[in-house]
Amino acid sequence: MKVLVIEDDADAAAFVKRVLVEAGHAVDVRGDGEAGLHQARDGDYDALVVDRMLPGMDGLRLLRSYRDGGGRAPALFLSALGEVDHRVEGLQAGGDDYLIKPYAPTELVARVEALGRRGQGEAPATRLSVGGLEMDLLSRTVLRDGVKIDLQPREFRLLEFLMRHAGQVVTRTMLLEKVWDYHFDPQTNVIDVHISRLRGKIDKDFNRPLLHTVRGAGYRLEA
Amino acid sequence: MKIRRLPALVRTTTFRLALLYSSIFILFAGVLLTYLYSETAGYLARQADSELNAEFQELSAAYRGGGLDRLNQAVTERSSARGKFFYLLQNADGEKISGDFDVLPAAPPSAAQVVDVGFEYVARTPEGEASRRSAEGRISRLSGGGVLLVAYDVGELGEVNRRVTTVVWRSAAVGFVLSLIGGVVISRSAARRAELLARTTEDVMTGDLTRRAPVLGSGDEFDRLSEQINAMLAKLERLVISSRSAGDSIAHDLRSPLTRLRNRLEGGLKETSPEAQRAALERSIGDVDGVLDTFNAILRLSRVQAGASGSFRRLAAASITDELAELYEPVCEEAGLTFDYVSSAQLHIAADRDLIAQALANLLDNAVKYTPVPGMIRLLVRRTSLGEVELAVVNSGPGVPPEDRERVVERFVRLEQSRTLPGSGLGLSLAAAVAEAHRGRLSLSDGDGGPDAPGLTASLILPAA
Repeated sequence: MKVLVIEDDADAAAFVKRVLVEAGHAVDVRGDGEAGLHQARDGDYDALVVDRMLPGMDGLRLLRSYRDGGGRAPALFLSALGEVDHRVEGLQAGGDDYLIKPYAPTELVARVEALGRRGQGEAPATRLSVGGLEMDLLSRTVLRDGVKIDLQPREFRLLEFLMRHAGQVVTRTMLLEKVWDYHFDPQTNVIDVHISRLRGKIDKDFNRPLLHTVRGAGYRLEA
Repeated sequence: MKIRRLPALVRTTTFRLALLYSSIFILFAGVLLTYLYSETAGYLARQADSELNAEFQELSAAYRGGGLDRLNQAVTERSSARGKFFYLLQNADGEKISGDFDVLPAAPPSAAQVVDVGFEYVARTPEGEASRRSAEGRISRLSGGGVLLVAYDVGELGEVNRRVTTVVWRSAAVGFVLSLIGGVVISRSAARRAELLARTTEDVMTGDLTRRAPVLGSGDEFDRLSEQINAMLAKLERLVISSRSAGDSIAHDLRSPLTRLRNRLEGGLKETSPEAQRAALERSIGDVDGVLDTFNAILRLSRVQAGASGSFRRLAAASITDELAELYEPVCEEAGLTFDYVSSAQLHIAADRDLIAQALANLLDNAVKYTPVPGMIRLLVRRTSLGEVELAVVNSGPGVPPEDRERVVERFVRLEQSRTLPGSGLGLSLAAAVAEAHRGRLSLSDGDGGPDAPGLTASLILPAA
């Protein structure tokens, strides 16, 4: 993926760049809002990583201008401002995700990669398919190798999210935010328990596991 | 830093106000006294004047009708009637024709004119005693050259007039002085109280956070101000103490994982096999994540405590707890605990969903962590006897001794028995801060277990909306 990082703190920018480059992405860095906006317009990026506090033009205004100008690359806000209001502001300005500092590098990579996928799927899918696992979003049914699998509503949403991001690492925090809409991290392994239940339903009676645990990061659904 | 001492009395606001009020008082008093004067002495003087006018009119009419003879007759009649007025009628040569006086008290005016005069004369009682009296009168030159004086004794009237005038002036002077004295007294007592407040804040600024402004119990503005300042100081003191101890605790709490991390990295360096090195690195990342979690928890707690967090709207309490029950039921079952959820759809609160969910998640996390198997965890939504909404997490664990209940809510406080379990010691602090941000409170009480294991009920008690 080709990623543009707009961050004025040189150390933070270097860190983001290193983390993303190590994950196999091409990264450009700009240090202020104006330059970042021009670069975002000129370059053809798969994702933007934008700090909210920038000299010259702050992240919200930058992204708003970019969207007004027809820019479509998905954007992730980085911010030390972690409140729900700020998050909502970020999303209203055209952001697609919001990550609060300090964060773990795996979290950043997982979220940037999740963004890239979002840009590709243009037509709203009604069916998702990973390996032998099939999900029909209209009839809300799930089949694995032709066998119907019964899921609770929340399990269905959890699996849907995992299937939409098949092949990518999905962190526990992402799951809590996107599936449960909670913006905090419980101490206990609530997500692990729910994943293990889901795994019991989609993987247990089949030879090849689809739902993998990625140590130190989260989970990945992959054929 | 030094606060400027009480400035000169005259420069105090209260004194200036007192001066302003005395000036206004004087103005009003002046208006009142003028009115009083015009209604008493002034009225008498005006009345006497109009009577004098009428008398003159009548005599003038007599003169016009019958000349000097007729006037002489009228004056003689009136003079001998011993009325209110005294007369003197002179011919053109200045000789007395009739009347009570012998000579004019003042020079007569020239042709056909009138002049008012005030004079003294000697009156004799029927017994022959003489006394000096004041009189006022009017002298008129008649068209034929004669002169007519009509006068009246102002003795009594003059006295009244003088007294009223004196009273008015004295009252004005005394009023001004009294109101000034009042102003000084009031301004000094107000200034003294302001000085007390200033001294209190000065002491606090130099570091004595235990100082409080005096409250005299009179319930006046100064008392209210003092109470407000004291409430502010109490909060300030609490925050300073808590941030001081939190600073210590943060240092202490982060030192052990950081030391552990350092040792692990050093150990990893000595490992020769790549697998062992990798394992050491992975565990180190786990340690760092723990430190980051603690930092995030501290940040979140600070924001909630500062009231900078949350968007509040009215919602059904059960809408939050339904989701949490669904999230935690499998967790409890996995941990070998039975989970029970009882809610009521009727109860509403004004709340930030995410904050309440986090506070309850902390309570549920604690319950899962501290309840031994076999055990029970219950999530309840109910109305208290005072009509508040209680979101309670009840467990069958060992509970928290009553004497420790206040302490465990403080930042980083963890009881001895739980130090070995994972956790930052911030969960209950955050729950309490969230409850306070919702104008509610966190309450810890016994669960419904027996005396050996009383269990614990941890409740967010929030105002109903």
